[in-house]
Amino acid sequence: MIDPLGGSYYVESLTAAMAREAEKLIAEVEALGGMTRAIEAGMPKLKIEEAATRRQARIDRGEDVVVGVNKYPPPQATDVEVLDIDNSEVRQKQVARLEQIRSARDAKRCESALAALEAGARTREANLLELAIECARARASVGEISSALERVYGRHRAETRSVSGVYAAAYRGDPDFEALQKEIQAFAEDEGRRPRILVAKLGQDGHDRGAKVIATSFADLGFDVDVGPLFQTPEEVARQAIENDVHAVGVSTQAGGHKTLVPQLVAALRAQGGGDVVVICGGVIPQQDYAFLREHGVANVFGPGTQVPRAAREVLASIRARRA
Amino acid sequence: MSRALSPADHVAGVRAGDRRVIAKTITLLESRRADHRELGQEVLDQLVPHSGNALRVGITGPPGVGKSSFIETLGLQLVGKGLSLAVLAIDPSSPVSGGSILGDKTRMERLAREPRAFIRPTPSGGTLGGVAHRTREAILVCEAAGFDAVIVETVGVGQSEVEVRSMVDLFAVLLQPGAGDELQGLKKGVLELADVLVVNKADGEQRAAAERTRADYEHALALLQPASAAWTPAVLTASARTGEGVEAFWQTVLAHREAIQKSGELERRRRGQARAWLWRLVDEGLEAAFRADPKTAARLPELETEVESHATSAPRAARILLDIFTRRRGSR
Repeated sequence: MIDPLGGSYYVESLTAAMAREAEKLIAEVEALGGMTRAIEAGMPKLKIEEAATRRQARIDRGEDVVVGVNKYPPPQATDVEVLDIDNSEVRQKQVARLEQIRSARDAKRCESALAALEAGARTREANLLELAIECARARASVGEISSALERVYGRHRAETRSVSGVYAAAYRGDPDFEALQKEIQAFAEDEGRRPRILVAKLGQDGHDRGAKVIATSFADLGFDVDVGPLFQTPEEVARQAIENDVHAVGVSTQAGGHKTLVPQLVAALRAQGGGDVVVICGGVIPQQDYAFLREHGVANVFGPGTQVPRAAREVLASIRARRA
Repeated sequence: MSRALSPADHVAGVRAGDRRVIAKTITLLESRRADHRELGQEVLDQLVPHSGNALRVGITGPPGVGKSSFIETLGLQLVGKGLSLAVLAIDPSSPVSGGSILGDKTRMERLAREPRAFIRPTPSGGTLGGVAHRTREAILVCEAAGFDAVIVETVGVGQSEVEVRSMVDLFAVLLQPGAGDELQGLKKGVLELADVLVVNKADGEQRAAAERTRADYEHALALLQPASAAWTPAVLTASARTGEGVEAFWQTVLAHREAIQKSGELERRRRGQARAWLWRLVDEGLEAAFRADPKTAARLPELETEVESHATSAPRAARILLDIFTRRRGSR
C-alpha cells in the first residue's frame, strides 16, 4: 500500500485546501513579475512575518496550544544544562586561525583566484561556482570570496517592511488587551509622548522574525517602535537609541551573542550620554544567563514563550521606574 | 535619571551640536505636555536667531518609490563633500492603535553611521496630512545645531505635500518609472507644488522606462502654470542604487536656491511660511483653550448627543458652544 489515506474525504479536502491556498500565493508572486521581483519587494518576508505575528497572538491567547508553554507549564523550572560559550574567546581563536591561514597560503595564487572570480562575475557568463572553488583551494576565506562578488554586484539589502494591525486584530474585544492599551495611553498623557522603543539586532544574528513580531505587536499596543537594521554594533545601536530618543532598547537575540554584546551596548549607551535608556533583552536566552544580564544593566529578560502583552506591561513598568 | 535639562542646557547643547541634546530638544518640542511646551518655547526663542541658514528640502513620493534610499545616496554624497545634514523622516502612526513603526534607520543604515549626519524618525502622531505636528520646530533646531542641509521626508499621502511645502525651500517629488497610469492617479495639485520631480530607479532594465516617464511628466508640467515666476520645475531621472543623477539633483537644488534668492522669492516664501506657522499655532492654541474650557466642556456631552440624534443641527450646536466660549472670554 502506497497511500493508506488516499481517498479519505478529510485528508483529501485538507490537501485540496492547501493546494488552493498555495495557488493563490503563486498567483500573487506571478503578478509581481516572478519570485526574484517578489523577494526584491520584500513580499515573501512580509507574508512570513504576518503569519508569525498572527500565530504569536493565537499562542498568547491560548487559542493555539503549545504544551509546556501556554498549557500545562512545568510546575517548577527545571535546570537545563546549556553549553556556555565564551564568544570573545571563539572570536580570538577564529581571528588567530585566519591570520595563520593568511600567512601560510600562497598569496599570489589566492589573489589571482579572487581576481579571476571578480572578473568572471563581471562577464555575467562565467561559472562562478567553479571560480569560487578555486579561490577556496587557494585558501581564500568565505569573507574574501563574497567581497570579490560584492565589488561587482553590491550588497543585498533587505527591504524592511512591517505589517501592522495583525496582532491587535486577534485581540479585538479582549478586556486585558484594551486595559493595556489604556495604560499606554495614560503613559502618553503623563509623558507628553508615547512610550518609544528601539527593537535592535546586534552582531552576527540574522534572525529577525522575532524582532519583527515584537515590533508589530508593540506598535499595535500603542508603542512607537523603531526598527533597527540587522548586524549592528553596540555603538551603532546606542547612537540610534540616542538620536531617536527612545525610552528603551529591546535587544532580540537568537544566536547566543547576548553575554558579550548586551553589556557592550549598556556601556556604549552610557558613553554616549544615554545612561537613562532602559535596556531589555528577549529571545533565546538560557535561564542561567538572566542574572548575568540583570547584573549588567538589563532591566527585563524575556525568554522563549513570553506572552507579548505581559512583556509590554513589564517594559512599561521599567520605563516608568527609570523616569520616576 | 530623568533629570530634565534646563533651557540653557538645551540651547548650549544644540548650539554645540551635541547629538543627545539635539535629540532631547526635538523630543521636548514634540511633547504634548503643557509644561514641556512652555519650556520648549523658551528654548526655541533662543534658538530661532541661530536658525535659517540651512537648505531646507522636502522629499515626498508614493510608498515604495525609494525615498529613503534616495536620501541615503544623496546624504552620503553630501557628507563626502564635507557637508552635514539632518534628515527628519516622518512615518505614519496607526489611526487605530496610535502606535507606529519607524523604520528609517533600517532604510538608511549607511548614512546613519556617518558622523556628519543626524537622522530622526518621528511618528506623525495622528496630525492631519501625515506631517508630524512639530516638524517645523525640529527644522529650526537642526539649523541652530549648524547642519548645512535639512531634509524632510514624508510619505506622499494627500494632504502632507501642502504641509511640507509650507516649511521647506525646495519641494521634490519622487516618482516610479513607467507609471503612465500613475500620472493620472497623481493629484494635479502635487505636480503644481513640486519644484523638482525625480523619476527614481533609472537603472538597468528600467532606465528606458524612466526616461519615457520623465518625458511624460515634462509634457504634463508644460501644461501647468508654474507656482513660481523665478523657477520652472525641473524633471530629472536618477538612481538611488547606482548614484547616477543624484549629484545632478543636488546641483538643481543649488540652482533653484540661487534663482529664488535672486528674485527675492526665498525671502517672500520664508516670510509667508513664518506667517502660516503663526496661524497654525494660533489655531492650535484656540482649539486647546476651547477643549480645556470647563463651561463648554459642561455643555459638550449633551450637545454631542443631540447632534447625533439630529435633535440639534451641528452648525447650531457649534454656534452655541462657540458663544459660550467667546462670551466667557469677553467677560474677563
